[in-house]
Amino acid sequence: MKLNNRTKIKIDRIFVYLFLVILVVITLIPLWLLIVNATRSTLEIQQGISLFPSKYLITNYKILLSKGLDLPRGFMNSLTIAILTTVLTVYFSMLTAYGIVGYNFKGKKVFYNTILVLVMIPMQLTIIGFYQWMTKLGLDDNYASLILPSIASAGSVFFAKQYLESVIIQDLIDAGRIDGATELGIFHRIILPIAVPGMFTMGIFAFVAAWNNFFNAFILITSRDKYTLPMLVQTLRGDVYRHEYGAIYLGLAASIIPIIIIYFLFSRYIINGISMGAVKE
Amino acid sequence: MKRLFTILSVVIVFSMLLAACGTTPATEPAGGPAVVEPAAEEPAVEEPTAEEPVVEEPATEKTVLNVWSFTNEILTMAVAFEKTHPDVDVVYTMIPMTNGEYQTKLLATLGTDQVPDVVALEAAFVKSYVESDFLADIGDLQVYADELKMYPFVYEVGMADGVHKAYAYQATPGALFYRRSLAKEYFGTDDPVEMQNLLGDFDKYIAAAEVVKEKSDGNTYMVASNGDFQNLFFANREQPWVVDGKLTVDPMVNKMVETVKTFRDNGYEARATQWQEGWFAGMNDTLQDAAGNPKKVFSYFLPTWGLPYVLYPNSTSADGASTTKGDWAVIEGPLPYQWGGTWLGVMEDTTKMDLAKEFVRFCTLDEENLTNWATGVYTNEYLKAIDPTVPDDQYQAAGDFVGSQVVVEKITASFDESEMSNFLGGQNSYGGFAAAAPSVNARLMQGSDDAIQRALNDPLNSYLEGTVTLEEMWTLWKDAVRNEFPDLIIE
Amino acid sequence: MFKKLKHDQYGYLFIAPFIIAFLIFSLYPVLNTIFLSFTDRTLMSRTFNITWFRNFQLLFADKTFLTAVKNTWQLWLMNFIPQMGIAFLLAIWFTNMRLNIKGVGVWRMIFYMPNLMMASAVAALFFSLFSFYGPVNQFLVRSGFISEAIDFIRKPAIMRGLVVFIQWWMWFGQTTILLMAAMTSVSISLYEAALVDGASTMQMFRHITLPLIKPVLIYILVTSLVGGMQMFDIPYLLTDGRGSPGNSILTNTINMYMKFHSSKGHIGAASAVGLVVFLMTSFVALLIFFLLREKQEQPDK
Repeated sequence: MKLNNRTKIKIDRIFVYLFLVILVVITLIPLWLLIVNATRSTLEIQQGISLFPSKYLITNYKILLSKGLDLPRGFMNSLTIAILTTVLTVYFSMLTAYGIVGYNFKGKKVFYNTILVLVMIPMQLTIIGFYQWMTKLGLDDNYASLILPSIASAGSVFFAKQYLESVIIQDLIDAGRIDGATELGIFHRIILPIAVPGMFTMGIFAFVAAWNNFFNAFILITSRDKYTLPMLVQTLRGDVYRHEYGAIYLGLAASIIPIIIIYFLFSRYIINGISMGAVKE
Repeated sequence: MKRLFTILSVVIVFSMLLAACGTTPATEPAGGPAVVEPAAEEPAVEEPTAEEPVVEEPATEKTVLNVWSFTNEILTMAVAFEKTHPDVDVVYTMIPMTNGEYQTKLLATLGTDQVPDVVALEAAFVKSYVESDFLADIGDLQVYADELKMYPFVYEVGMADGVHKAYAYQATPGALFYRRSLAKEYFGTDDPVEMQNLLGDFDKYIAAAEVVKEKSDGNTYMVASNGDFQNLFFANREQPWVVDGKLTVDPMVNKMVETVKTFRDNGYEARATQWQEGWFAGMNDTLQDAAGNPKKVFSYFLPTWGLPYVLYPNSTSADGASTTKGDWAVIEGPLPYQWGGTWLGVMEDTTKMDLAKEFVRFCTLDEENLTNWATGVYTNEYLKAIDPTVPDDQYQAAGDFVGSQVVVEKITASFDESEMSNFLGGQNSYGGFAAAAPSVNARLMQGSDDAIQRALNDPLNSYLEGTVTLEEMWTLWKDAVRNEFPDLIIE
Repeated sequence: MFKKLKHDQYGYLFIAPFIIAFLIFSLYPVLNTIFLSFTDRTLMSRTFNITWFRNFQLLFADKTFLTAVKNTWQLWLMNFIPQMGIAFLLAIWFTNMRLNIKGVGVWRMIFYMPNLMMASAVAALFFSLFSFYGPVNQFLVRSGFISEAIDFIRKPAIMRGLVVFIQWWMWFGQTTILLMAAMTSVSISLYEAALVDGASTMQMFRHITLPLIKPVLIYILVTSLVGGMQMFDIPYLLTDGRGSPGNSILTNTINMYMKFHSSKGHIGAASAVGLVVFLMTSFVALLIFFLLREKQEQPDK
């Protein structure tokens, strides 16, 4: 019996690994094509696609630099915006979600349902109205218009609420109150530590979304020195009849690398839910 | 506390509604500073006036002029402008239009005070802006256009209801480029004059397509993509698309559909999509069908800028092994048309009307600038001498076809030994375009053209594939147009 | 005064920042959009009229709009179901102690990477792959699968398949991460207790895992629905921005975008589309909430 079980597990594992490998190949091919294109010349790219890298990496790099693009600046801009947005989103969403989950006040249901409904507003439409409104407030071409709205991030509150509902334990809160902690104190010292995996998950998603968010930044920012990295890469398409595709792909590849690094650094915190969520009954 | 909260939110909502109402002015522009009267020539205090040479004011600060464009071309002229107008700082913003970003951003600023002073407009959307309420009347520049004998179609595009709102430095007439060696093989000659006789109208062109197919055993296509010649038919209609608010289909459009079908059914075209691999491959003889059989393309319909930016670079394959350099020639082709082009206009809400107009005049209607532009005087060194922060690859190569007949005649001869002329087997490229330019007619152009024409692409291709019938094609097209233009009467 | 507040009223304080930020930043655009949908405003002109329900009338009589709605639903469902399927599969495998798959962190990261790519680059690459003279055709013809190249770009079924595939490709990694985060938050002691009681894997999954990760499941379902209803980037960038071929990949948002991007900028009509899509999404989402709601024992109201 025991032997059969072990073999069965082995077979299962082989099957799983096989599946995983196939999935990886499917997942990575487009990425690979992107990187390969970063090493090819514009002509090569225009005339076909290839699985094998070519020798134009340095040339493309030089073209990228020669366009007068302040890439480090763009990178720092993107980083600043992404970090600030992420921090604000995560913190305030947790705050708001805790307000909903941990307390019972009048109008709570209405409030929460409104948030859900807010999640469903199509973005492309409100952007023009948003831009005109920001202009009226004098906040156009200002990072504030990109960052501050993330305090009221309906989608994140939604996630945070669902998440908190599954991990919050009322006993701990009550214990905190008995110990004389303030409500805010309970939030910071008891709730947040439990919610760390969820916070990191939210954080990574928020960071990626903010980093890749081309469209919003593009409508709201006009000054060149405030451009984010994706925006700078887009300016490479400037000459209508003369795109430097090689340099564009290089720029695209370069904008992905920082996020991969960030992800690498923080991914380990997501999975530690096992020890975090359990309470010895 | 709850009461306070409710009151507060009501107040905020109410004030926002008021603010929203503020964007519905009947006559004034919203939220902008002093309205400038475009018709009258205001004696502007700090800025140089349009007609006289620059008045040297003891200016402590430079006047800022905001120019928006979707390429870096005009940056060259902006720098040159700063040379003759040293107290002006041109702030140049380039926003790509690959996926409509430029148009979206521009749309968002209309009616706000973030609007640029001078704006570049591409052929696809220039007319809608000209027809809108937001471009200023710059008709007092027409006197320069007349002096320089600007090609009529160039300034006609910039007109709406008799009011001039945009001018262009370029003229972009379309032409037909053909392979000399293949012409010799199939027609016994490669001489442009004779070829123009042979291909002078569309019936002749179709007949020639059959000859090409026969003599090459189907291995040479007359044209790479049917997208190439659609423009020609649209440009030669007798009626615009919209007449008195009603969608009108000119007979030329029907002819276009027939022709395209003929070409597809008889295998005269390579079924490539413009701007994709197949289309480019035909330019350097590396075109192969899916099985690997080599194919050739006899001719391409391209406008002036198509030569230096599309045909020339792609005439050599990426690995350098195959090239068609020197094997091309250009003629007017079966029908005159135009493709693309960049116009400059002044936004009505600008606070620097005179300066903005002067900028437009300099770029599009100044003889010296146009000459320098077309003959390659604006090298990187020249530009850097004026403004050292100019990027390393900013320059204007010689050869752009400008919109002034005066300038064109003056400089055509200088292109006899140019790179482009060598590319055309010794034929003067400039001369070829100069022959095509006068017959182009843009009087029928309307702002809705681009969307209406593009709506036809997909149903047309389905028809060519055989997935829909002709009737269904028209219905599909009309539904698409109805979707985008809810106010249009469509039968 | 604050000390006298009952605990529950602290809730107001916690949600205050959200409300303030929302009022400042989001309220105006939303109200503006609703207002615009009742007008014939175009961005290119300075004046406009209030036309009340005309936009909506035109909309519902418009075949293209109805096609867009139908397409959006189909494209979303075709993408979502496999996505959940694979994500679940992966999440289960990765958290299964018996199988003990190695390198979970690495696998997970690889599967998440597509989410990092910009939609425009992905669309351009796929378009290149499947063009008439592109590598897929070359491969198929030269290996003898087909005798002549296929114009993939003109085949509705294929383009839809591509959109669905790309959407799936870009998002399944994220869904996996979410599911795993939820699953690993379920306390092990519950499983241990169940094992002691003799429960099978299936039973444990159905009675412990599923109910406890329900909140996250709802989240995934609803956000995917919302995202799906607003699907724009990939179908827009893959072909010509008009949903070709034959409107097969025309989605709600593309339809809306076309309206305000056409020559006059019909923002009134576009807003009407946005409003209708919004109402439709809300209705379905609320339905989902209702059907999947928890039977709470907490004293509410």
